[in-house]
Amino acid sequence: MQLFVFICAAAMILGGAVGVILRSHPVHAALSLILTLFGVAVLFVAQNAHFLAAVQVIVYAGAIVVLFLFVIMLLGVDKADSLRIDPVKVQRPLAAVVGVGLMGLIGAAIVQGRSTLAQRGTGIDTASGGAGRDSNIRQLATDLFSNHVFAFEITSVLLVIAVVGTVLLARRPRSSGASDGESVIRQNSGAK
Amino acid sequence: MGQYLPVVCLMILAILFGVVSFVASRLLAPRRPSAAKQAPYECGIVPGRELPERFPVSFYIVAMLFVMFDIEIIFIYPYAVSRQELGSFGFWEMIAFTAVFFAAFVYVVARGALDWGPVHKYRRLDSAVSAERTLSSTIRRVGTEGRLDEKAA
Amino acid sequence: MIVAAGTFTAPSIDWFALAPLLVLLVGGLVLLVTASFTPQWPKHLYAYATVALGLAAMVVAFVQWHAITRDGPKLLVGNAVSYDHFSMFGIITICIGLSLSAMVTDDFLRREGMEGPEIYGLYLMAAVGGIVMVMSNDLIVLFLGLETLSISLYVLAASNRRRAESQEAGIKYFVLGGFSSAFFLYGIALIYGGTGSTNFNRILTAFDSVPLQRKDSLVLVGVALLLVGLGFKVSAAPFHFWAPDVYQGSPTPVTAFMASVGKAAAFAALFRVFVVALPNWKDDWRPVVWVLAILTLLVGSISAVVQTNVKRMLAYSSISHAGFILIGLEAAGHSGASTRSGMPSSMMYLMIYSVLVIGTFAVVAVVGRTGDGATDLGSFRGLSRQKPWLATALTVFLLAQAGVPLTSGFIAKFGVIEAAVDEHSYALATIAMVSAVIGAFLYLRILISVWLADAEVGDEKREAMHIPISTGAAILLCVGFTIYVGVNPEWLIQASDRVVLVAVPVVGG
Repeated sequence: MQLFVFICAAAMILGGAVGVILRSHPVHAALSLILTLFGVAVLFVAQNAHFLAAVQVIVYAGAIVVLFLFVIMLLGVDKADSLRIDPVKVQRPLAAVVGVGLMGLIGAAIVQGRSTLAQRGTGIDTASGGAGRDSNIRQLATDLFSNHVFAFEITSVLLVIAVVGTVLLARRPRSSGASDGESVIRQNSGAK
Repeated sequence: MGQYLPVVCLMILAILFGVVSFVASRLLAPRRPSAAKQAPYECGIVPGRELPERFPVSFYIVAMLFVMFDIEIIFIYPYAVSRQELGSFGFWEMIAFTAVFFAAFVYVVARGALDWGPVHKYRRLDSAVSAERTLSSTIRRVGTEGRLDEKAA
Repeated sequence: MIVAAGTFTAPSIDWFALAPLLVLLVGGLVLLVTASFTPQWPKHLYAYATVALGLAAMVVAFVQWHAITRDGPKLLVGNAVSYDHFSMFGIITICIGLSLSAMVTDDFLRREGMEGPEIYGLYLMAAVGGIVMVMSNDLIVLFLGLETLSISLYVLAASNRRRAESQEAGIKYFVLGGFSSAFFLYGIALIYGGTGSTNFNRILTAFDSVPLQRKDSLVLVGVALLLVGLGFKVSAAPFHFWAPDVYQGSPTPVTAFMASVGKAAAFAALFRVFVVALPNWKDDWRPVVWVLAILTLLVGSISAVVQTNVKRMLAYSSISHAGFILIGLEAAGHSGASTRSGMPSSMMYLMIYSVLVIGTFAVVAVVGRTGDGATDLGSFRGLSRQKPWLATALTVFLLAQAGVPLTSGFIAKFGVIEAAVDEHSYALATIAMVSAVIGAFLYLRILISVWLADAEVGDEKREAMHIPISTGAAILLCVGFTIYVGVNPEWLIQASDRVVLVAVPVVGG
């Protein structure tokens, strides 16, 4: 059963990932990404990390991909960019070599270090953590508010910056003065 | 993992439904396309111009806010579940977290990033009210050509 | 490490120790919110507020410096943040960079018609991110600080919406920066897999708990990926391709901020990770750093020579300076020897370089004139006739960057090379000196344009250069610091000698 679930999830992840890079239409690529993220959520479930699986679906498959689709819509949905342009000829083969090399390196490291993973991994305590159905979330909350409380607070700063940056870059130019009016005109003519 | 069986069943059903609908409509529906059928639906009116290709960029700000509050809720959830254990420490940490968020939200609203009205709402009147602008410079007289003295105009 | 449910103990939070961070964070939020309610603040007020916040944080950091000298370092907030001399030195460097950059930015924004509180808000938030990186004692905290800093810098780079170059710089920096963050994150994941924790102290002790841990391949790959991620942020040689384009395209004060605060924070993080958390793997990472340092030095100084745009030249020279600081890291990574000379000399280098680079870019911002475009070498010709004092200031900065004695740059370069020689890295020291000589050619080339060449044809038709008060004050402060430290470096050397990084023992488990 475990193995079957893993194989299904792995097939979803890999199929989605390959889809993301091979589909030339951006919307299809974004939908393939959802498949990948769902596969990861299934893997979380297989590890008894139910809360993480839910977060994965809500935040990634929900919010983040919606954001991607927004961006695709903003940039024009009908444009399938041609990837044939290649200013430096060697860079694609070189990228392939480096990519395969990195993958091989990480693969070798994981194969060699899998005993360490088993020793070091503590993960979520599913046996003794016991306290009802929420034990998963309770452990997470305890950890979040003790060891990682600083990281938790800094996350809010990070999100504030994301919002401020979005507003700074995406807000329509103010029309309070002659020079701003000029940029409005330029934007309109650019859109046509 | 057994508890996820309904989810799997639902997913399979959903996929089946999609596939069956597509195949059925392919097989059963008659195909007689005409120009009127293929045109985009505009309440019966013949479309006058091409649809705009892009969404306005303001949508992006809304999407970003959505993601932000989504993440905030994810963080609130564990706190809500083990609120009693975490006690006042957890409460004040949560308050600090949401206060920073709230500052960002106030900033977005006050900066006018969520205003959807026409742009000229904020136009200042400096250029409209000035000594150079007089009646003769702003109002165009129609049909007076050749009848008035050119120098006066 | 996940603790079992039901055993929650709230970590104690030492608010005073976090004060520099909180001053900037709360100040930044208040600035953003109040500024968005009041559409038009009086002239200069945003910049003055930012400078005041930077100075306040710096004063607090000085107080804390003495407190640490008295009471010793400690760990804060669940061992995620360390409170030691290294943190304070880094915070002071960042605050200096923040305040000086804000002074340069003030009139620049008005000249370019991009006034608004966001730029200053992002400066403050970026400084917060930098301080988090400097103080971090946990890889997750470090990553969050890194992202806070980087995302602010991406937005700042693209903040001039009237210039296509600025937008281009923003998008290039964003795409490549996101890519490198992914490397960094993957490295964290592998190190967590190999050691079972992201906390620096636990990573350190994980080495001792299992024999043959040094051969642990997961950690080694993790270390390599961390080096790639941070190497990008500090623009070390094979990962430096973003730097020239981004430095050239960004608004000039933002470039100054990026080269000072961004670089200082990234290097501090590099030291934190490699010297505090991963000293047990130092025989593995040191040769890599050696290669990176040499590549960075040579690529930086040789590529700089063939450029024609001054901002681009300075970008390459910034890469070459990164090479010098990497020498300090290499020296700090020697086995058996104490890390005494490598760390302090590098941190001192960062502080000195931050001041130098802001001064240099302040001059470039003035010469760039409205539109921020006149930064090619030709625009600098005849500067000495038009603005002799500005030319003199630029001369001081460039000579200091070249490492001429009696300027702060000499002290900085001497410090790292001395550290390398102390550790018997003679090859590295030799290459550093050779690249310093090559680099000197670049600075002389700018100086010849400034002092000996006539102004370009048609230069008189361009708008006259105008030195605003705050930018002038910033340049003056930078010149003062450069010369004062050059003539009288003892106090800075003594202060930086306290910056010896050792893992702070865990207090209370």
